[in-house]
Amino acid sequence: MGVTVLQQFHVPENKTGTYVIELLTKRILALGATQQGQFLVDCESYLSHPQMGTTKTVHILHNSEQPASVFSILESGTKNIHVIADGLFDLLMMKLSQHYTSKKQTKIESKGPRFELGDFCVKLGSVTMNQNFKGVLIEVEYRPCVMANAVWGLLREFLQGLLGPSVPVQPPQHLLSRMNEIYTPIDTIYQYLEHFSAYRKGLRSA
Amino acid sequence: MANSVNISIEAPIENQIQEITYDGQEIYQAPLSMSENLARLAQKIDFSKTDDEFCNIKKEGESSSESKSEDDKDPGYQSSLWPWDSVRNKLRNALTEVCVLADVLNIAKEKRYMVLDPVQPEPVESRQMVQVYGRKKALAAAAAVLLAGVERLRASETMRMTRNMPDFHIDLLRLRQNWRLKKVSNTIIGDLSYRTAGSKFNQTGVFEVTKAPEEQIAQAMSLNTSGPAPSALRVTVPPELQGVAFISVLCQKEQEDVVTATLSSSAINCPGTLPGDGAELHWQQKLEAAQNVLFCKELFARLAAEAVQLDASIPHMVVGNQIMATVLPGIQLLIGLCHNNGQNNSNTNVDGVKPEGTAGKSDHDHVLEHSLHQLLRAVHHSNTHHPFPHPATGPLGPSKRRCLAGPMAADRYELLDMSKEQSLLEQIIQQAQHFFMRRRSEYVLDTIAKEVKDPLIVSHWNALNSPTQSCVKINIMAHGYDAVCRTSLVVHVGEKTLKCICRDGKVRHLSYELQELRDLIYCQIYQHQMTAVQAVGRCMGWQLLASSSHLGSGPVEPLGNASSCLLASPNGDRMIAIRCEPSVGIQVFIAQSPRKDFFSSELVQDKKWENLGGAFKEIKLDKMEGKNFLNKMELLMACLSSPS
Repeated sequence: MGVTVLQQFHVPENKTGTYVIELLTKRILALGATQQGQFLVDCESYLSHPQMGTTKTVHILHNSEQPASVFSILESGTKNIHVIADGLFDLLMMKLSQHYTSKKQTKIESKGPRFELGDFCVKLGSVTMNQNFKGVLIEVEYRPCVMANAVWGLLREFLQGLLGPSVPVQPPQHLLSRMNEIYTPIDTIYQYLEHFSAYRKGLRSA
Repeated sequence: MANSVNISIEAPIENQIQEITYDGQEIYQAPLSMSENLARLAQKIDFSKTDDEFCNIKKEGESSSESKSEDDKDPGYQSSLWPWDSVRNKLRNALTEVCVLADVLNIAKEKRYMVLDPVQPEPVESRQMVQVYGRKKALAAAAAVLLAGVERLRASETMRMTRNMPDFHIDLLRLRQNWRLKKVSNTIIGDLSYRTAGSKFNQTGVFEVTKAPEEQIAQAMSLNTSGPAPSALRVTVPPELQGVAFISVLCQKEQEDVVTATLSSSAINCPGTLPGDGAELHWQQKLEAAQNVLFCKELFARLAAEAVQLDASIPHMVVGNQIMATVLPGIQLLIGLCHNNGQNNSNTNVDGVKPEGTAGKSDHDHVLEHSLHQLLRAVHHSNTHHPFPHPATGPLGPSKRRCLAGPMAADRYELLDMSKEQSLLEQIIQQAQHFFMRRRSEYVLDTIAKEVKDPLIVSHWNALNSPTQSCVKINIMAHGYDAVCRTSLVVHVGEKTLKCICRDGKVRHLSYELQELRDLIYCQIYQHQMTAVQAVGRCMGWQLLASSSHLGSGPVEPLGNASSCLLASPNGDRMIAIRCEPSVGIQVFIAQSPRKDFFSSELVQDKKWENLGGAFKEIKLDKMEGKNFLNKMELLMACLSSPS
């Protein structure tokens, strides 16, 4: 487990998502990467019942990189609380269906090919919400290092080489607060949630 | 008995055996379903008995013969068509009879055609004396039977007491405290297999318990009067479990036995000690031996199956009662099953009876014996002891690590790692590999310590280690100067590799070729000498002018690089240069700064140039006083710093 940076890629006008994925696949294969299967990150959100007081949102996320785990993030106003559990947590959420109702139409996922290139692991994900294409998210992981501070420059350079000069100088919002701490899988999940929320609110167009 | 006794109770095999396959597996008949069971029980009902009574009542109660015709029907006429057929017929008969009875009662109630008169029953002749005599006679007969039995028991008991014979029942009780027994019809059957302990080996370990004939006991008692009393029990073990078996592990190095480890019960070391006719052997020893045979057979069967399944780079071979596996290049591991059942000695095809090697080799026997034991016992234990599910409603089966994998967000590689399971053979091969690595490293370290007297090489082996990893700490120091400078390094001995952690924190991975370790230690020794001489120089107030651990000058070294250092005396008029080449040794040169041989020439006329220092002259170290190199250097420095 190394440091992961999630970056969104702007799909140019009158181009499809598949075109962009193919373009990036060609680029990364030209760098000498090998494809290692597919990946999938999905997110489903549950709203608490109004009778329980202020409405809270629970996001349930799965990451194919950690196949035995279920990540849940509870949004309660100012603070986010996360719990990592095993697969039984999904069943528990079904039992809680009278307290937490699922917003089916906001189920969102990012899936696509997964590449390995030396110490890097690159995932090209096309984001879909209800089978509607929303955008392209690129995940790059540098596996030997666990401190974001030490590796952000390297990751940024790698991303620039792959995506062009559009990569921001600042690391992602979530990583900024945790630059000097040991990176854990939940940090990847927070980054995905950040992007997914933005897609849901419709701030970004495909 | 005054003391309470633990007795194991088990349900008998409920289902009947349908078939016994060639490998000894018993196929049971499926239990009857509820409806089949009901049909079977209904067929068992004896309707005829009540039938007869009913008929008798009728015969006595009335004179009408209307119902007679119904009784004549043959019930077996249409039998075995249907399981409920006989039941139906009988019920139909009963219905007919009840109908007839109802008719008769109706007719009697009308009182026009038939009147029922009470009939005086014939008075029974009460010949009481006859009854009393009859009962007395019957009781006397029963008493005689009981008395005869008591007499016989008492006779046998007194005879046993007088002849000091052992008691069968006490022995049986003792047997039952340690072994699983059950009574099947008239015989007592026991089970010595490890199935209840988690074994899944399909060979059964059934034995039979009988009473020993009295002549044999008497004979045995007359033979040895001093030893323990012979048992009244006789235990019959199936022929395939008789005798002695053990697993012999042999490590062969180019057709030469290196290590022989034998796995056998501690009581019986040599297969010759247990005679084929084990009648005079105590049942406990006999059963233990048979259980050991069963255990060895299971172990070997498992190892052989694994040897065939595993695809190693050099395939394992299973020939007869022997498994061959390659541990390290040139070294083979032979695992053989020796079973001497007393009848034919040709069964022992591994020469396990060969006398043990030197004392150092036999030390190892216990280790391999123990680890083989442990490995199979661990398998048995894991078969019966499943980790508790957590939470209590969670799935049963996954290990604790697997349960934690979800909450700890383990990635796919870790999960894959968890699903891997090592077979018994792989583990024993790893242990053998580690054993060889450890012995070879020990040998290398010992020979280096013997060859190199200066500095001293001290190696500390950790007393606690795992079967596949151990650790040695090596200290390099000079006698008398261990406070000034010591170099230590740690070597982790693994299965096929060595990991050396040096003083400077560098980690080196070495292969099983131990020349690499040897070279590394030699390099460390010379490095130690250089740092030690610098430390001694500091103590003496000398100044370090230059030092290089990797000199570029001079001939190319076969291992490592030459190193050197240059020291100046406190007042700067003398210099010592030390050059150390692993292949040559240590050379020491000195120079002195108002040089003695300065003569003004035409080019260099000024007297001041004599302070530049002259040419270096080599010192013959072996001619110097001093216990070791550092001592010599100390003396040299002391001598050079004194004002001359």
